[in-house]
Amino acid sequence: MAAQPLLEILGLGKRFATRAGRDPSPWVIQDLSFSVRDGEFLTIIGPSGSGKTTLLNMIAQIDTASGGEIRFQSQAAPISDPKSLNPGLSCKIGYVTQEDNLLPWRTTLQNVLFPLVVQGRLNDETRAHAQMLIRAVGLAGFEDHYPHELSGGMRKRASLIRTLVYDPPVILMDEPFGALDAQTRMQLQEDLLRLWNIGRKTIIFVTHDIAEAIALGDRTLVLTRAPARIAGEHTISIPRPREIRGIMTHPAFAELYQRIRAEVQ
Amino acid sequence: MATFEGREDRGAGFLGARLGPALKSYGDQLIVLLVLFAIWQALSMWLGTYWIGSPWGVAKRFTQDVLDGELLRHASLTLTEAIVGFVIGALPAAALPFLLRRQPIITAILDPFMVGGYGAPKLALAPLFILWFGIGIESKVALVAITVFFIVYFSALAGIRALDAKLVQMAQVVGANERDVARHIVFPGAVPYIFTGFRIAMPYSIGGAVIAELISSNRGLGYLIQLSAMNFDTIGVFVALVATALIVFIGNLTVNVVERWLLRWRPPSDVMLQAAT
Repeated sequence: MAAQPLLEILGLGKRFATRAGRDPSPWVIQDLSFSVRDGEFLTIIGPSGSGKTTLLNMIAQIDTASGGEIRFQSQAAPISDPKSLNPGLSCKIGYVTQEDNLLPWRTTLQNVLFPLVVQGRLNDETRAHAQMLIRAVGLAGFEDHYPHELSGGMRKRASLIRTLVYDPPVILMDEPFGALDAQTRMQLQEDLLRLWNIGRKTIIFVTHDIAEAIALGDRTLVLTRAPARIAGEHTISIPRPREIRGIMTHPAFAELYQRIRAEVQ
Repeated sequence: MATFEGREDRGAGFLGARLGPALKSYGDQLIVLLVLFAIWQALSMWLGTYWIGSPWGVAKRFTQDVLDGELLRHASLTLTEAIVGFVIGALPAAALPFLLRRQPIITAILDPFMVGGYGAPKLALAPLFILWFGIGIESKVALVAITVFFIVYFSALAGIRALDAKLVQMAQVVGANERDVARHIVFPGAVPYIFTGFRIAMPYSIGGAVIAELISSNRGLGYLIQLSAMNFDTIGVFVALVATALIVFIGNLTVNVVERWLLRWRPPSDVMLQAAT
């Protein structure tokens, strides 16, 4: 393990621009600090409106910060000026957003290959890798379907592997399974853990579901209501590989669940 | 998605002509056609064929004019004017909002002039264009081009403005530069809007050419209408009108086919089911 954490959030703050004639808008996030180790699966949980998406947007560099610092591989990221933002920080930070954001005019395969196309990395090897991912998440046979011809769960899978296909060392996930039914959700959680076991990337996974945060993460951060700060930090010591379907019966689960629920307001 | 589906519906209903809806609608359309013929026939019998040529008379003359090549000679000129004018007007109109995408200030400065140009009655410019470009094909092409330009410009602009910022962010995060965004996100997203513009502008291009010919020319369907009316030949007027309507109808089918191929990624409910229900 590297001596320095892969990603450090130092005193991060965010308030949105004020409109003329209004009171200054309140802080969404204030003085937030935490760090993420290389290869760690960090889950972040917080009540809705606690600035979870805003936090990920700042880490992904599609939104500016109003204060504080984000250090990636010990380098401070330029996050104060909208003009100097570097979305995805040179393809090193992948972002699976809440909505799938598939391009409706591209087929499943074309959507999955999209990052490789714009990065100029489309070749036989990366193409084969993409095909492997498509099979791994059960999208084989749907390569030539357009997004409107896919179910919600399939679209989620496609958007997930669109990020995995170019192999960014860090992946941010914003409630990626939020809008799905319980069965599909569990299936996708299992898929995700399986894929993570192959690649062991650094993942920051935001959710409002306590069970999901425990089942997936090595460590869970609990955020307060806005302005978001850390309300608690929990190491999830349930051994891997984990069985999502049986995880609730694990002895450590109930205790963690109670502790985290007490902190989430 | 939902926003431009709603928008597109208006375009879809335009002229009503759609390929591929349930066969039932063809039957209904036939009934409407027969009713229209019946009204036409009744009017011509009531007011006399001197004022309103009978459908049968029009059909006979139409066939005769087609066979001796006269009608095709006039129609092909009108069609040429419409197509050349359409291309000259529509292509820059579709391209301009893309070029100005990163120039919101210039777009804002242009806006009142574009709105003015859009709202101004372009047909009133026909005499001016004839003065400037003569009674040949140039004045007709100019009128068609300027008519088509504003319609397509505003459609393309709407397409650019309806751009989903989240798709752009997604593309930037995975490494897309400004050119990739324009090519892979902005342009494909605007195509449905541009086509709505094409669909609306197409009949105007034929109409613009015919009206310019009406005012001053020595060939074309508009000239045929004018000539026939001056000779109190109502059948001749109707023949030219039927030919104009046919051209618009075929033009609309062509736009449909091209659009359906280009927009095959869209849910079919937009393209066909709406027309069928």
